[in-house]
Amino acid sequence: MTALPTLIVTDAQPRAVGSVSLKVTASDRGTEIARLRHEGSMRALFPRRDSQRITAVLVNTAGGVTGGDRFSVRVEAGEGADITITTQAAERAYRAQPGQTGRVDTVLTIGPNARLAWLPQETILFDGSSLERRLTVDLGAGASALIVEPLIFGRRAMNEGVSSARLSDRITLRRDGVPIYLDRICMEGDLVARMSRPATGQGAAATSTVLFAGEGAEARLAAARAILPETAGISLVRPGLLAARLLAEDGFDLRRALLPLIRLLADDDLPRPWMI
Amino acid sequence: MTRDLLTLAQWLSPAFPVGAFAYSQGLEVAIRDGHIADAKGLTLWVEDVLDHGAGRSDAILLAAAWRGEDVDEVARAFQPTAERLRETERMGEAFSRTVRAVWGLGVADAPYPVVVGRAAALRGIAVEDTAALYLHAAAATLVSVAVRLVPLGQTEGQAVLASVTPLCERIAREAANSTLDDLSSSTFLADIASMRHETLEPRIFQS
Repeated sequence: MTALPTLIVTDAQPRAVGSVSLKVTASDRGTEIARLRHEGSMRALFPRRDSQRITAVLVNTAGGVTGGDRFSVRVEAGEGADITITTQAAERAYRAQPGQTGRVDTVLTIGPNARLAWLPQETILFDGSSLERRLTVDLGAGASALIVEPLIFGRRAMNEGVSSARLSDRITLRRDGVPIYLDRICMEGDLVARMSRPATGQGAAATSTVLFAGEGAEARLAAARAILPETAGISLVRPGLLAARLLAEDGFDLRRALLPLIRLLADDDLPRPWMI
Repeated sequence: MTRDLLTLAQWLSPAFPVGAFAYSQGLEVAIRDGHIADAKGLTLWVEDVLDHGAGRSDAILLAAAWRGEDVDEVARAFQPTAERLRETERMGEAFSRTVRAVWGLGVADAPYPVVVGRAAALRGIAVEDTAALYLHAAAATLVSVAVRLVPLGQTEGQAVLASVTPLCERIAREAANSTLDDLSSSTFLADIASMRHETLEPRIFQS
């Protein structure tokens, strides 16, 4: 990809703006792209189109998110379509200018009997970052979704803390328009100190929320419980909905617990960008 | 004013038949795993739950219900685990059944903080007082779990509860001026403890 990031110069800080809008539909030949539009610093690639399932890889050509950036992802899976979405690399939330916030807004619409897996790689929060994310997932009748959002608080191996940052991370999962799961993480200030408390993270520098909605949730509960370490848990919150939380020392440790869980819930291997 | 406080004291007393004593919100697992071994550890846990977890989010839901907003589905969807969802629904049903029978209040079954907020609004009781007593009762429930399981002395338990009282007051004030947009939780380990409680054997508490 050689596209240059779109930059809007303001008096505060250059801003990157990017969006991807994608619609896929089911056909006799498998899931196909019905509409694709990308603008600015975001692209979607499709490395795997040889099966029923299509894989989309999102690329942030600005190389990260900083204050004032605006990214938007819209994916619609039509009736019976099957799509996995991931990112080419870990996302980085870099230091923001005071009062400037980076925004990432994702809306996933999953039609009747369609399946969608949202498997972005980790988002790494750097010291001084300010990030607001919204992920809204709408499930139609018989639709299923696997939603994973891994977060890393600083790069511990590099001895980088996150002593001053702001995170607002919201996941809204709706079925037939009714909210069935809301996850709201808002933290401000010294995130490492916040994560060191006994009921928050006991010093964990990485966490992930994992949601699985759809047929087969009940059947996967016992197997998922059996592979999770003590620093993680999973619950069948209501019929057809599994919610898991994982905590880990660092990103490496998180992957060790997360990858088997994703394989189990996705009934598939991880998309290639995760493995390289 | 005094009448209102007496009503709240009755509604949020451990003797009110909502079964509050049966729930630990994952604290039973945290104690079993050795994460909480003394009054200091309990204080930190209770502070976390009040400030960064179920305490604050329940107070925000209570305040929204008090203002008359329809928050039933949001209150359910915000529960991170099956046990927490069952707990808030069962306590809510028991509370609304009792205030219907005793005070004749037209409060339909809904999650616990929602029915407490609605009942207080119907009686004209101030939202901040209601949230403060609700939070204090939630803290008292956690303390009583720890007194039994750690175990801690009764006096130690009361000292922990007294130490978090100003926090209850502050969160109640903030919740009274909040919107549903302020809902958030970062008590990841308390959530995980609640998930792991589902398979804990033997166990004393229902959550």
